[in-house]
Parts: sequence; C-alpha cells; structure tokens
Amino acid sequence: MATPRSALDRLRIERAVWAVDARLGDLPRRSRVSRRRELRDNLLAASEDVGARQAVRQLGDLRILAAGYVAAEYGELSRRPSWTAAVATLFLIEAAMTLLEYVGRTGFDSGITSATPHATGTFRWAGFPYLISDETFTYLNGTHTSVGGAWTPLVYVLMFAGAFVAGRMWRLIPAWRRQRSQARPAVAWEEGNGDRA
Amino acid sequence: MAPTHDPQLLKGVLSLLLLRLLAERESYGYEIVQRLRELGLSDISEGSVYPALARLEREGRLETRLVASRSGPARKYYRPTAAGAQALAEGTASWLSLAAVVHPALVRRLPDPSTSTEET
Repeated sequence: MATPRSALDRLRIERAVWAVDARLGDLPRRSRVSRRRELRDNLLAASEDVGARQAVRQLGDLRILAAGYVAAEYGELSRRPSWTAAVATLFLIEAAMTLLEYVGRTGFDSGITSATPHATGTFRWAGFPYLISDETFTYLNGTHTSVGGAWTPLVYVLMFAGAFVAGRMWRLIPAWRRQRSQARPAVAWEEGNGDRA
Repeated sequence: MAPTHDPQLLKGVLSLLLLRLLAERESYGYEIVQRLRELGLSDISEGSVYPALARLEREGRLETRLVASRSGPARKYYRPTAAGAQALAEGTASWLSLAAVVHPALVRRLPDPSTSTEET
C-alpha cells in the first residue's frame, strides 16, 4: 500500500544509496551513476509498498550488494582497473627513476673517464635534487666502485601518491573513449554493453 | 511461516528465473523482486536480484529502456535479448533434464532402517 514519503524516509533512502555508491568506485562513471539511479528508484518504489525503513532493510547487507554490482561489471575474479592502474603507475615511476639514475651515473662516469682515462681517486656526484641523493665514486686506474645514490623518501611518496591518483583517475580513459563514440546516433533501447565505457 | 530456500541453490537458478519472468513481461528491478516473491520466493533479497540483473545486462542477455514514471525518476525496464532468449531455452532444457534425474531420486521412499541392515 502506498505511503507518503517523509523527509526522514528520503534521508534513509539517500543514505543507503550513497553507502552503496561509495563502494562502487571501481565502476566506470556512467555505469556507477546508472546503478545509483536505479537503486534509488527501486528503493522509492519499495518504500511505497513497505515503507523506507523496511525497503532499505530488504536490500540486505549493502557491502554485499555493492560487491555484487562490481562483480557483475567485471566478473568474480577479474582484476579491478583501479588496481591495475595503480600497479602500472608504480612500475612506471620506478622505471623512470631507474632510467634517470642510470643516465645520471653514466654521464658522471663518462665525464670522469673521458677527462682522465686512468683516473684514481674519489669523486662525488651530487645526484638529482630531491630525487636521488649524492653518490661517491672511488676510481682506481679508470674503474670505479660507488656508494650512495639512493632514492630520496620523496620518490616513494611520489610513487604512492601517483598510484593513488592513477587508481582514481583511470576513468578518464573510458570517458575519453565515450566522448569519441558519442557521434553515433542514439537508439531507443540501450544495448547490453552500451551503458559502459 | 514461509519456507526458506538455500541461497546457493537459488543463486544457481536465479538468472534462469529472471530471464523467464522478463520474457513473460518486461519489468523494472523492484517489480521483478515482487514477482519472484509472488512465485513463493518470499525470502529472496533485493540485494541478490539487482546485481544479477546487472550481470545479465553486461553479458548481453538483457536490454533496458527507460520509462517515465509518475511517482519519481524514469524507471529502467529490462527484457531479454535474442542471446537471453537462447540462454533461457538452453537453461530451461538443462534444468528440466537435471530435475528429471534429481527429483525422482529425492522423493523415492527411503528403506526402513530396521530392514535395510545386512542380515548376518
């Protein structure tokens, strides 16, 4: 039987919708919005039947519901794009830093050995400010050993910040693809995958 | 008191039931839950039905359309695609074949324990 919805009922429904939505961060934006709208609509319909409190209760555990939506999007065992993007960013920054360090050290060594092919002594490379600490090169007849040249804590901060940002921003790629495909004419019926990036 | 159903058993046939009900008549999420309850699945959780609909949609077995509603925002109605109709036909045949084996075995009369022991 239909019952009028009070502000408290609307709050109950919105709270449930946003509690689920907060756990749908791995879904593409359009799909996430679509799920949120649909859930709200279903809750509104259910609240007319049984009241808002019971309608929310009938959803069961909201974490399980959200996990069900994510599994419906990607399958039970597949990797989530946010994790893939985060791990890729970690490796990318690590590769960039390794390359930077290699170029810097090789350049410094080349400078020493080209000026003094049979160099003997101790030389200090200043590293890269804020990224790679200084390194001491000890030469004996043109060959060297070195100590230092570690990545600074800032590099690790950048790594994890980059992983976090990439984990959140991966949606830009499907959004960009969607923009490109928007030129296609709209159809009355949404195809099964048409709602996704 | 309404009988409860094993969630694992129900999970196995939920997609089939959804395809069947939607083949009979397109519906939106909460309406489908109500129809399942009218069938006798009074303990079914909406939280298990909505993701199942989303999964069938992702798999291309259901398609959707938005229909304006007087009581709120437009409602998302589901109906089977051709692939969904085919999955329904195959799933129904598979279920009936399984039930034809399982049901007679389960309803068979159990032997009386006093007479079933081996005589020495």
